[in-house]
Amino acid sequence: MTRDGIAGLICLALAIGMLVLTRGLPQSSFVPLGPDFYPRIVLVIMAVLSALLIASDLWQRRAGAALAAASAEPAAERRNYRLVGITFAVFAGYVILLPFVGYRVATFIFVAALQSAFDPPRGARRWAMVLISALASAAITFIVFQHYLSVLLPRGKWTDW
Amino acid sequence: MFDLLLAGIENVLHLKYLVPLFLGTLVGLIGGALPGVTITMTIIIVLPFTFGLDPLQGLATMTGVYVGGSAGGAITAALIGIPGTPSAITTTFDGFPMTQKGQPGRAIWLGIWSSCFGGLLAGIFLIGATGPLAAIALEFGPWEYFSLFVFALSMVAGLTEGSLLKGLLAGVIGLAITIVGSDPIMSVPRFTLGTEFLRNGFPFLPVLIGIFAFAQLMTDIEKMKGSEHAAAPIKAPPLTVSHLSVLWEIFSRPFLLAWSTLVGILIGVLPAIGGSAATVMAYDQAKKFSKHPERFGKGNPEGIIASEASCNANVGGSLVTIMAFGIPGDAVTAVMLGAMTIHGIQSGPLFVSQHPQIAYGIYAAYLLAHPLMVLICAFGARLFLRVVTVPKSMLIPNVLVLCVIGAFALNNIMEDVVVLLLFGLVGYALVKARFPLAPLILGLILGDQIEVNLLRAIMSDANPWLFITRPISGFLLALSVASVLFALWQHRRQKGRTREVDQEPDF
Repeated sequence: MTRDGIAGLICLALAIGMLVLTRGLPQSSFVPLGPDFYPRIVLVIMAVLSALLIASDLWQRRAGAALAAASAEPAAERRNYRLVGITFAVFAGYVILLPFVGYRVATFIFVAALQSAFDPPRGARRWAMVLISALASAAITFIVFQHYLSVLLPRGKWTDW
Repeated sequence: MFDLLLAGIENVLHLKYLVPLFLGTLVGLIGGALPGVTITMTIIIVLPFTFGLDPLQGLATMTGVYVGGSAGGAITAALIGIPGTPSAITTTFDGFPMTQKGQPGRAIWLGIWSSCFGGLLAGIFLIGATGPLAAIALEFGPWEYFSLFVFALSMVAGLTEGSLLKGLLAGVIGLAITIVGSDPIMSVPRFTLGTEFLRNGFPFLPVLIGIFAFAQLMTDIEKMKGSEHAAAPIKAPPLTVSHLSVLWEIFSRPFLLAWSTLVGILIGVLPAIGGSAATVMAYDQAKKFSKHPERFGKGNPEGIIASEASCNANVGGSLVTIMAFGIPGDAVTAVMLGAMTIHGIQSGPLFVSQHPQIAYGIYAAYLLAHPLMVLICAFGARLFLRVVTVPKSMLIPNVLVLCVIGAFALNNIMEDVVVLLLFGLVGYALVKARFPLAPLILGLILGDQIEVNLLRAIMSDANPWLFITRPISGFLLALSVASVLFALWQHRRQKGRTREVDQEPDF
């Protein structure tokens, strides 16, 4: 099964799961249309489209097997999925840290960590550049948003800062 | 109407509004010029900066970003052959060859002036057509609204590149996200998993930022090759040119300018098609009407004029649809509509009559953004080339920080940032599964309205045939079916010619 089929399966599972949940929604005797009326329409359409996507994937796999042998696809550009995983992980760490250490500290750590992941610093000068730019990012955004644009930014439970 | 417009211009000329408009246009130009940073992304980045501003200040900023972003793509397209935005692709066809011939100033200024005039001509349409179209929309009942939203959704889903099935499914996923939260009649919590936070549904802005920003940034990160040092600054060529001769080149082709503008406006007004289609269509039409089609692609000024005039005219057309019907035409306008909602503006048929000061303020901001754009380019076009060399390793972390601020600042709760991360993962997964994002966002924006109008229609008259027998509603539903059938036919025709490849998603 290709990514279409897998996506179809996930969507189908979600649609069915949510359809099951609509059974528990309370009904009212005053209103003819319950809270489940519209969700059921949407979820049934979602389930049907997902099933069609799975079917089309299976159909194309059959039809495409012969075709694939005849014409080899050009090699796709190499993708750096490791870096994507690191970015999501660092970002998740940032989200976890924010309420504990506050915006300034968490942003400094996040920007420095992500810059180092994207472009690993070699030598003291590059490290200093990374740290200075992370400090500048945290400080400038904090001053601009908190002081000039009246936008409140998260304060840390541990640091109260 | 003209009194209101003059009052709007006078109002926006106050420094209180002019400064945000200027800054918005400047940032839009830079964002548009940066390859890989789309107008959608620039609007998302700028949005949190407008939270503390009053509605007109905020919307003037966003209008500036939209206008500037549409024109900014031409700068890098003409000077270095890389379109800053997808819609500037056709500008590279003739702009870059002109630069290579040693006429970078002519290439860039043909683009900027054409954008300016195309945009201003579309402004006349925007001001003239929004009121009458809104008046038509006022006649709509819930049946017509429901059918109009279904039509918009089916158009967007059908006309996206790639699989029709996935376009439709993406739209329905957008609708499914909106069913989480209290129902609109009894306020019964649905799918909230017992949490208080989800009673009002998923917060719109974190979902939007998560899906778009992460989908685009992660796609860029995938392409990064280990260590990425700052690129060597591009040596900006001298851009001196006789503006009079450039203006003469444009005005000596009045039909080309008018026709390209009209194409841009019409594509902008129609939901779903977007700026890239407008420029490609205008370029194609210009080539067909030209006495010398063989000169296209070799530095022909007609190619640049057609492309850029239609690109900014498209902005005016899109704003008509947002302001008259409250329907976004594509991803960029979907974010613009979100921005309006965040500033407390419920766009739609009543918007112009209920908030004339803000509506005419937006018109004024739109009109003034064009001369401002010319002014900024006169001083900063060479500087933008230096900005585009900022390494992605520095740019991306800072964009992510702005995304967090955008998600957090509206309600000041950390749950919104968690939603941002969650939908960041969803957005990236959808892009990897080659789902188009525009229908999803449209479903997300229209979902609540579709539900409310469907329920209102059925509760006022239980006869479901009314959706078909009421003329406008029936016509719109017929158009929806026709658009899906047309898309089906088009996909079948294309299937024979090309196989699906790993294409860039529609940001």
